[in-house]
Amino acid sequence: MGKLAGKKLLLLGERDGVPGPAMEACLKDSGAEIIFSATECFV
Amino acid sequence: MASVGIKSYAYCLNHAPETGSYYGGTPHEARTSGKEQEYVDALPKHLQTYDQALHYAPNQTYIGGISYEEFESLATPWTDNPLPDEKAQRYGKFGELMPEDEFLGLISACDEFELVWLEPSFAQAVSEKLAKDPFITEAIVKRVVRPKNMHDIAEIKAEVEERDGLYLYHDGKPVGCVRSGHPTDPCLTSHVLLENLAGKASGVLALLHLLKNSGLDAKDLDFVIECSEEGAGDVGQRAGGNFAKAIAEVAGCVNASGCDVRGFCAGPVNAMINAAAQVASGARKNIAVVAGGSIPKLYMNSRDHVKKGLRALEDCVGSFAVLMLPDDGTMPVMRLDVLGKHTVGAGGAPQAVTSALTFEPLQAAGLTFADVDRFAPELQNHEITEPAGAGNVPLANIKMIAALAVMKKAVEKADMMKFIKEHGTVGFAHTQGHIPAGVPFIGPGCELINEGKIKRFMVIGKGSLFLARLTNLADGASFLIEAPTGKPASSSAVTKDDVKALILEALSEVAGKLN
Repeated sequence: MGKLAGKKLLLLGERDGVPGPAMEACLKDSGAEIIFSATECFV
Repeated sequence: MASVGIKSYAYCLNHAPETGSYYGGTPHEARTSGKEQEYVDALPKHLQTYDQALHYAPNQTYIGGISYEEFESLATPWTDNPLPDEKAQRYGKFGELMPEDEFLGLISACDEFELVWLEPSFAQAVSEKLAKDPFITEAIVKRVVRPKNMHDIAEIKAEVEERDGLYLYHDGKPVGCVRSGHPTDPCLTSHVLLENLAGKASGVLALLHLLKNSGLDAKDLDFVIECSEEGAGDVGQRAGGNFAKAIAEVAGCVNASGCDVRGFCAGPVNAMINAAAQVASGARKNIAVVAGGSIPKLYMNSRDHVKKGLRALEDCVGSFAVLMLPDDGTMPVMRLDVLGKHTVGAGGAPQAVTSALTFEPLQAAGLTFADVDRFAPELQNHEITEPAGAGNVPLANIKMIAALAVMKKAVEKADMMKFIKEHGTVGFAHTQGHIPAGVPFIGPGCELINEGKIKRFMVIGKGSLFLARLTNLADGASFLIEAPTGKPASSSAVTKDDVKALILEALSEVAGKLN
């Protein structure tokens, strides 16, 4: 819990960086609501 | 240890700025939406000429015009440091950079269904130019001027305006068209067929170079595995294939057959593993792994290049080919006991992915990070990706590998930057999806091995499976290439693991009898 508690999150991941599901896993217990998560490829 | 020999390799580029500025995914979307007229109008001012493309260091590195070591030592940005004329030639050690008009002729030559029409004087002119290319066969040159594939500009105009064809351009003017393959089938539109025929034609060019580079007669090629990202089919099976056999046919490989392997950008690495297993087991005498390139990827990042006043560099359709033979002890070898696999259960965290593709296969083979002289992950040219906000992809990958090496205590933290510099690779490939996926380093890496400068390198490809909306997963695969062993490999050799398994089986039998 911290400054993200109660916030709504849009997560945009990247294949060669941090993918969406990995961010979701990290933020699972943050108290924030993940309203959108996706991974994109820019190459 | 099962292994296979890497006999030869070929890398080609087809310059396609006009085709790309109409049918590259980003420009095409902007043109059809009608919402980005400013970008559409500005793009032509940012295109590079064929001569500029020839003088651009990453392109020459790709086709083997300069060595990888020389490339690493060059001043950047490469756009501001063009190569001298003597190093900016059409033909390199691995392949060529073909001009766009000849590429259109080659696409027409690869058409079996009267789908590509060229204006007669244009067809005649490009056939004469292609005849001077020492890698293009006489049969291909003749196909460019087949009467059924030549039509005057009025007929071409009618085909485009009345029957959903697509214009092909040269010097700002229509010189031909790709026709629709079916009145209603969405898999056979002129746009899809242009992409597929360009993929086929660029694959043919790479295979022709491979045959010359290796000295293998076209008739002696046994099998082709194609690994691009295109899907050829009709409405009943929209990616049924088969590019491999179609490419082999045009290249005159009458005794070959083939099949396609797909996996987004991980396709080529998986195709290499597939081919190596078949050759090492004796199932095939030899295999050419081949991939043509992608029209939709042309100018993918050009919105940002235009916005920032930069040259739009994504103007080449890329292709590659690798020939594998049984390991006779004289060629660089691909090992089949050190294969990285990004499993379903590994998850998507960067550390887990990197571990699955590097640490785990190396550990299983008794190797460590420092034993690998070079890691070749996704090799996109960062002068293309950085202005578009996608970063320096090969650098990001080697940083992750170095961090993992530190975590696993294979490298001291203080030596991390040294490891990145010495064991990483600088990207020089076009953003052609599957083309940059580690495989561009097979040629330069094998050259370095043959010169005795390195002993071992790892090729890593990653695929964005989630783009197909079937799964949220990405994929990845990797393999090692090493110096020749000096003695032929035997696929039936008994390994230490085999001996362990036999001993355990025998002990288990004895234990059973004691009970």
